[in-house]
Amino acid sequence: MTKEKAWPWISTAARAGLAAVWLIAGGLKVGDLAASARAVHAYQLMPYDVAKVVGAVQPFLEIALGVLLLIGLSTRLTAAISALLMTIFIAGIVSAWARGLQIDCGCFSSGGALAAGTDTRYGIDIVRDLGFLALSGILLWRPRTRFSLDGVLMGER
Amino acid sequence: MSKAKRDRTAKARQIVEAQKAADRRRRVTLWTSVTVVLVLFVAGLVGYTVMAGRDEGELVTPASAVDESTAFAVGTGPVTVDIYEDFMCPICNNFEQSSGETLTRLAADGTITLRYHPVSILDRASNGTRYSTRSAAAAAAAAEEGKFTEFHDVLFANQPEENSSGLSDEKLVELGKSVGLTSETFATAVDEGTYETWVTQATETFSKRDYNGTPTIVVDGERLTGPEDSVPTTELLTQTIEKAAG
Repeated sequence: MTKEKAWPWISTAARAGLAAVWLIAGGLKVGDLAASARAVHAYQLMPYDVAKVVGAVQPFLEIALGVLLLIGLSTRLTAAISALLMTIFIAGIVSAWARGLQIDCGCFSSGGALAAGTDTRYGIDIVRDLGFLALSGILLWRPRTRFSLDGVLMGER
Repeated sequence: MSKAKRDRTAKARQIVEAQKAADRRRRVTLWTSVTVVLVLFVAGLVGYTVMAGRDEGELVTPASAVDESTAFAVGTGPVTVDIYEDFMCPICNNFEQSSGETLTRLAADGTITLRYHPVSILDRASNGTRYSTRSAAAAAAAAEEGKFTEFHDVLFANQPEENSSGLSDEKLVELGKSVGLTSETFATAVDEGTYETWVTQATETFSKRDYNGTPTIVVDGERLTGPEDSVPTTELLTQTIEKAAG
């Protein structure tokens, strides 16, 4: 298989992976918006009333992004938004780390303050988010994928 | 038709085709982008609406609660010590084991006013039975009968494992009985979850005060932590209280 033929498949895998990431991340938070608000608030970057709105909106945005990536609608734009969000998340984790906060990142859970004696795992969280950022990067660079609504609408076969 | 002319026509057709295809791509890109933005906007709006419209149920505030109705006070000493706890939180239990007695003594001898704030931030750790909320609501019912401390202590002594289903309502009533909470009112309040909405509200106030975890210990309005954000030792706690008492 030539390089030109391989890329759409690589991008398709990246799209599916990123879709799964968003669906899982959002799905795990959507059931308890109060906990999601507390997870955002634990970063101590905004007052609670703002964290409450962010915490409520975020899981729904994540699920919507997951669905859009899954069906492959405007892949380049959804990849760009994913990359933007991942960058914000990474910045948030770095800032929590730098300030010595003892929190769970709340990436795939309701997060919040860690129980005393539990180690933070900011390094792993950042590396993982960088991986997701890389998936978004692949899609930004090569947004053409198989089995996508984009492809159907563009008239590709 | 000469060969040259045929070539030109073919080329012209190709150019037109290419332009058409490019037009189509532009149109599709524009409309899919608009759709994506709209979908994300609506998703965000749904989240906001769900949050704003959360049905919180009927609010019954325990009459004995102090400090914006978030706490139950023990003693009347000049130094105020606030303890924010979740009955599901093992670290809170450790804190109670190590410092509980000292605090109770300081409250009894008139040094401190000990204010217990039950909050529910670990509802997710009880298999969907919301033990944190149920137990805190039961504690409010106990407070209404003047037995908060007794019930508080027996709850920690019987603390369920994190990520178990917690104690059932029947068990909570039973534990209440063991410390003298034998009234029908208490049992009914536990069964019906009378104070659950109040617990949610008190937890909101806890967050609004910029606290995140349990136990949070506050001495005279100042949050007290050990090194690296750890729970303060009994020694540090006693020293801080003595200093505040002057």
